[in-house]
Amino acid sequence: MTDRDVLPFPAPDQDDADIAARIAALYERTPATEARQADRCARAVLAQSMHQSSRSALGVSRTRWWWGAAAAAVLITATTRPWRGVVSTQEADSAVGRAIAAATLSGTVTPSDSAVRFDLTLPTSASAVAIVGDFNGWDQNATPMASRDGTWSANIPLTPGRHVYAFVVDGKRWIVDPLAPQVPDDGYGPANAVVIDGGPQ
Amino acid sequence: MLSVTMLALAGQLLGAAMPLASGTDVEHGRPSATSAEQSGDQSGDQAQPPVTFDPTRFDSLTALSLRSFLDSAAEQGLPLGPLINRALEGAARRVSGARIMQVVRAHAAAMAEARAILGPTTPVADLDAAATALRAGVDEKALSAIRTSRPAGSVVIPLMVLTDIVQRGVPIIAARDAVTTIARMPSSDDALKGLQAAVAKNSVRGPGMAVDALNRYLRGTVSGGNPPSAPATTDRKPIRPPSP
Repeated sequence: MTDRDVLPFPAPDQDDADIAARIAALYERTPATEARQADRCARAVLAQSMHQSSRSALGVSRTRWWWGAAAAAVLITATTRPWRGVVSTQEADSAVGRAIAAATLSGTVTPSDSAVRFDLTLPTSASAVAIVGDFNGWDQNATPMASRDGTWSANIPLTPGRHVYAFVVDGKRWIVDPLAPQVPDDGYGPANAVVIDGGPQ
Repeated sequence: MLSVTMLALAGQLLGAAMPLASGTDVEHGRPSATSAEQSGDQSGDQAQPPVTFDPTRFDSLTALSLRSFLDSAAEQGLPLGPLINRALEGAARRVSGARIMQVVRAHAAAMAEARAILGPTTPVADLDAAATALRAGVDEKALSAIRTSRPAGSVVIPLMVLTDIVQRGVPIIAARDAVTTIARMPSSDDALKGLQAAVAKNSVRGPGMAVDALNRYLRGTVSGGNPPSAPATTDRKPIRPPSP
């Protein structure tokens, strides 16, 4: 098999063939490169490239590796935004505040000489609200609350001391005043507690 | 199975035979029938409203179990009023009889522990509040500190406030120190209620805000800089939402 058979392009004419043959002959007469010399050349080129001083072209210095590192750091910082955690916390707090404001579930307990007034404002409409507690045997039918201007109220004469109570909306949903003192969920669900003054301190 | 049925029938018959009136005065929201024997309320303790055990509020097996347990609690000298209230609350919330028994037993054990800590002559209301605090995670040392802060008076309000602020995320040690510090002050119930209100209002605004509110309120109250009715946290600016 000759080179002529494996060339993928059309066969050159005779002159080109002569030239190619002479080049091949010259190449064959060229002495082989010594390994040590080739190694020395490679080391020299590498050393020169590593210790090459900064060059400038058109007044702009050639970029060096620390320039790339700085650019990468800026890019990573701008992308990940480490201060994002603070912003997220603020957003979460604001979200909680908005949710609480939107819920508008609030209750007040106003003791007086003859009774204790319980007021409850619900965020949604309800057909019936009752207050249950240890003062009425936790009976949903014992103390219904009256609605007026969106606020459910009940006046209950309570003896001095601590009372645990909760609200029942529409006979099914038990809710508590989120800001009133609460007793732990002991397996049933949360409940509120109130202490009526009268005992010695 | 037959014995269980017979026990249930016996419980129903026993419940029907004993005149345990359970009617409540709807107008006044107060139990209309009282029985010191059934409720176990101590004479002279007006802080705890009398309460009666109504077996018709429970299924027959639960009523029988409750009656047996209340008898054993009475033999141990435990007040029955708080236990009956826990049972009635469970019946009103329509939880299972097993859960009711579990809660009543746990509360009785907590009351026995509280009585051992606070003393055998502790009023029922104090025992109930202390048992609730123990079940909320308050430790024995905190209860003793509260008792020491008020050696003679009622500790219901300090215990209620302590239980509430611990539930809202304040560490027990910080809560105990704050409550005992305020409780030592004369006529400090209003200050304790103000502490609860400040912590409750701020605890919904994010983690750590409850402790922050407690510290600010304590500084303002103990140093006399701010009156207890004006919690120090009210001057805190609301957090501005980030611009979109």
